[in-house]
Amino acid sequence: MIIEISHFLSILSTGLFFLVGSFSLSTSNTPYTSNLISRTYSHAFLFLLSSFLIYIWLAITDNFSVQYIANHSNSALPIFYKISSIWSAHEGSMFLWIFFLALWGFIFNINIKNTEVLKPKTIGVISLIIVGFLLFLLITSNPFITILPIAPLNGADINPVLQDPALAIHPPTLYLGYVGFVIPFACSLAFLINGDPSAKWEQLVNKWSVSAWVFLTVGITLGSWWAYYELGWGGYWFWDPVENVALMPWLAATAFLHSLSVSIKSSQLRTWTILLSITVFSLSLFGAFIVRSGIIDSVHSFANDPQRGLYLLAFIAVIIAASLSLFILRFSLIKPSGNIKTFSKQSFISINNIFFGTLIFSVMLGVVYPLIYEYLYDQKISVGAPFYNAIFIPIVILASLFLFFSVDSKWSRSINFKIFTKPIVLSLIFSVIITFAIHFVFKTNNVAILLSIFVGLLVIIRYLIEVSISLIFKKYLNPFSAIAHFALGLLLVSISFNSLLSTERALNIKINEFEEYKDLTIYFKDIRVRKGSNFDAVKAEFNIKDKNGNSFDLSPEKRRYFTRGQITTETAIHVSPLKDIYLTIGDQLEDGSWIVNVQINFLIRWIWFSACLMAFAGIVLVSTNRKSNI
Amino acid sequence: MNPIRKKRLYSILLVFLFSVSGISLILYSLNSNLDYFFTPTELKNVDIPSEKRIKIGGMVLEDSVQRYKSEISFIITDYENSINVVFEGIVPDLFKEGSGVVALGFIKNEIFYAQEVLAKHDENYMPPNLNLENDN
Repeated sequence: MIIEISHFLSILSTGLFFLVGSFSLSTSNTPYTSNLISRTYSHAFLFLLSSFLIYIWLAITDNFSVQYIANHSNSALPIFYKISSIWSAHEGSMFLWIFFLALWGFIFNINIKNTEVLKPKTIGVISLIIVGFLLFLLITSNPFITILPIAPLNGADINPVLQDPALAIHPPTLYLGYVGFVIPFACSLAFLINGDPSAKWEQLVNKWSVSAWVFLTVGITLGSWWAYYELGWGGYWFWDPVENVALMPWLAATAFLHSLSVSIKSSQLRTWTILLSITVFSLSLFGAFIVRSGIIDSVHSFANDPQRGLYLLAFIAVIIAASLSLFILRFSLIKPSGNIKTFSKQSFISINNIFFGTLIFSVMLGVVYPLIYEYLYDQKISVGAPFYNAIFIPIVILASLFLFFSVDSKWSRSINFKIFTKPIVLSLIFSVIITFAIHFVFKTNNVAILLSIFVGLLVIIRYLIEVSISLIFKKYLNPFSAIAHFALGLLLVSISFNSLLSTERALNIKINEFEEYKDLTIYFKDIRVRKGSNFDAVKAEFNIKDKNGNSFDLSPEKRRYFTRGQITTETAIHVSPLKDIYLTIGDQLEDGSWIVNVQINFLIRWIWFSACLMAFAGIVLVSTNRKSNI
Repeated sequence: MNPIRKKRLYSILLVFLFSVSGISLILYSLNSNLDYFFTPTELKNVDIPSEKRIKIGGMVLEDSVQRYKSEISFIITDYENSINVVFEGIVPDLFKEGSGVVALGFIKNEIFYAQEVLAKHDENYMPPNLNLENDN
C-alpha cells in the first residue's frame, strides 16, 4: 500500500519536472518566471525526495511485498545493508542515480540567486534530463512493482560480495560524481540557449565541477580498493570495461577543469570548455549505458535487457545530438578573445587538453572496438592491458614533462619563460640521481618504468621546492594545483614501483608444513570449518615470518552463502607502509595439500593515497574563497 | 592567396597531419594488442602463432580436471572439439567441471598455457558463441 504512495509521488514529480523544463525553455527571463521555476523545481524535488525516503523506509522495515526489495534484501541483514541493498541491483541503483541528479539540481537551485541570468535555463535543462531518466525508470525498470496478494516471508538476500562497507559507499559516491557534471553541462547549454556571450557561466560552475570531480575521484578509488580486497582481484586496476567507462568521464572532467580555469582567467578556450562540458556528461551517460545495458559482460552488468539498453542509447543520442546542434548553431557567439601566446599557462593547458583527448579517445576505442569488430566480422575480440599500457605510459610521461616545465609559466604572458631555472635544474639533478640509484639497486632495465619514476620524481621534487619557496618567501602558490600535481607525481612513482616489485606465486602447502617464498616463511597452522550467520566457511590459518623477524597470522577464507549458494573468497592481507602481503586460498588437492596464492604488492596503498590526495586538493579548492584555480 | 589565408592553411594542414599520424599510431597499437576469442572448433580452422595471446572459451569437460602441485590442467570443449589447458594458480570460485570458462594465454604444441582463467559471476553465464543443447 505504502509503496503505491512512493510510486505515485515519483510519477507526480516526473510531471512537475516536465512542467519546469518545458516552461523554462519556452519562456523568456523575467523575475516572476525565474521565481516560479525555482520554486516549482524545489517542489518537484520534494516529491521525489519523499518517494525515495519512503522507499528506504520500506527497505528498512522489510516490506517484501515490493518485488525489488524481496529480491535483494533479507530480514537478517543489518540496517546498513538493508539500505545499501537498494543500490545492489539495476532498478534501485537507477532510482538512486535519479535522486542524486535531482539533488545536485536542488542544491544548485537553493544556492544560486534567482537573479542569476543563466539559472532558469540551467534548472530547465536539468529538469528535462531528470524527466528522461524518470521515464526510463518507470517504463523499463520499475522498482515499485509489488508481489501481491501473497508476499514472500523473507527476501532473497543481497549479493554477498556486496555485503561490504566499501561497496555500500562506492556506488553512491561514484554516482554523485557522474551526475554532478549535470551542473556544468546544463549551465553551458543555458549559456548557449541564452545567446549572450558576456554571461559568465564558467565562474558559476567552477566549484560545482570540482565538487563532482572530487566525488568521481573518490568513487573510482573506492571501487579499485574494493575489487582488491573483496573480489580478490589482487590489483588496483584491470582495464575492465566497467572501470574504463568510469575512467573516461574522469579524464574528460580533469581536462575540463583545466580548460575551465583558462576560460575563467581570460575567456580563451571557451569553445573547447563548452565542448568538454558536453563530453564529460555524455561520457557519464555512456557509462550508465554500457553498465546497465549488459552489452559488455562484467561484474557490474546486472541484467541483460535489450529494451533498457535501447532506451538509454536513444536518450543519450538525443542529448548529444541536441547539445551539439546547439553548439554549432551558436558557434559564432563564443569566439575566443585573442590568440594564445606560446609558453603562457594557456598554451600548456591547451597541450594538456590534447593529451587528455588522446587518452579518452584510446580508452573509448578499447571499449567500443570489440563491439564493432564483432558486429562486422562475427569474431569476438577483447582489448587488454597491453594496449592501454602502450598508450598511457608514453602520454602520461610526456604530459608530466610538460607539467614540470609549465610550473613557472604565467597567464597570458610568454615573457620571462626560461627553460633552465634553478628549481628545474635542481629537480632534474635529484631525479636523475635517484632514478639511477633505483636502476642499480633494483637491477632493472625496464625503460618505461624508469622513465615513469623519473618524471614522477621530477614533478614531486619540483612541487616540494615550490612549496618551500612559497613558505619561506611568502609567495603565493595555488594550493589546489600544488597538491593535485604533487599527488600525480606520487601516483606515477607508486604505480611504477608497484609494477616493478610486486610478485605473486601459487603454492601448495599441507597442514603443519613450511613453504618459502621470497623472504617469507609461510607456515600452514590449521584449517577448519566455521559457521557464519548466513554462510559456511573454510578458514585457513597461516603464520608468516619475514627475514626481519616480523611474524604475523593471516586467515584467508572461502565462504558459501546459504541463500544463493554463492562461493566467495575472503582475502587475508597484512598491511605495512611499503607492502601488502596478500593471501587467498584455493582448492584442496587429492594428496591433502591446499593451493594458496601469495602476492606481495608494493606501494599499493600509496596508489590509493595519491588518488585521495588529489580528491583532497579538490576539497581545498572548494572550501577556499579564491576565485581562480590551477 | 593572401598571406593570412596561407598561414591558416598551413596550420590546418599541420593539425590534420598530427591528428592522422596520432590516430594511426593508436590504431596500430590497438591492432597489435587485440586478444582474439576462439571456441575449440574455431581454433581448428585457424593458424595462430605461438607468441600470440588469445582467449579460448568453452565448457570445462567433465572428469578432465587434474592437479599437480599448484598446477591445474583441464580440457576446454565445445562438445565437438577440445583443447588441453594448463594453468598455474588459483582458479576462480565458480570454476567447475561442466560449467563455462574463458582462458587467456598462448598455444604451444597443441597445449594452451593459460595466464588467466575466468569463470563468470553469473551462474547462468555461457561463454559467447556457444549455444549448447546440453546446457542446463
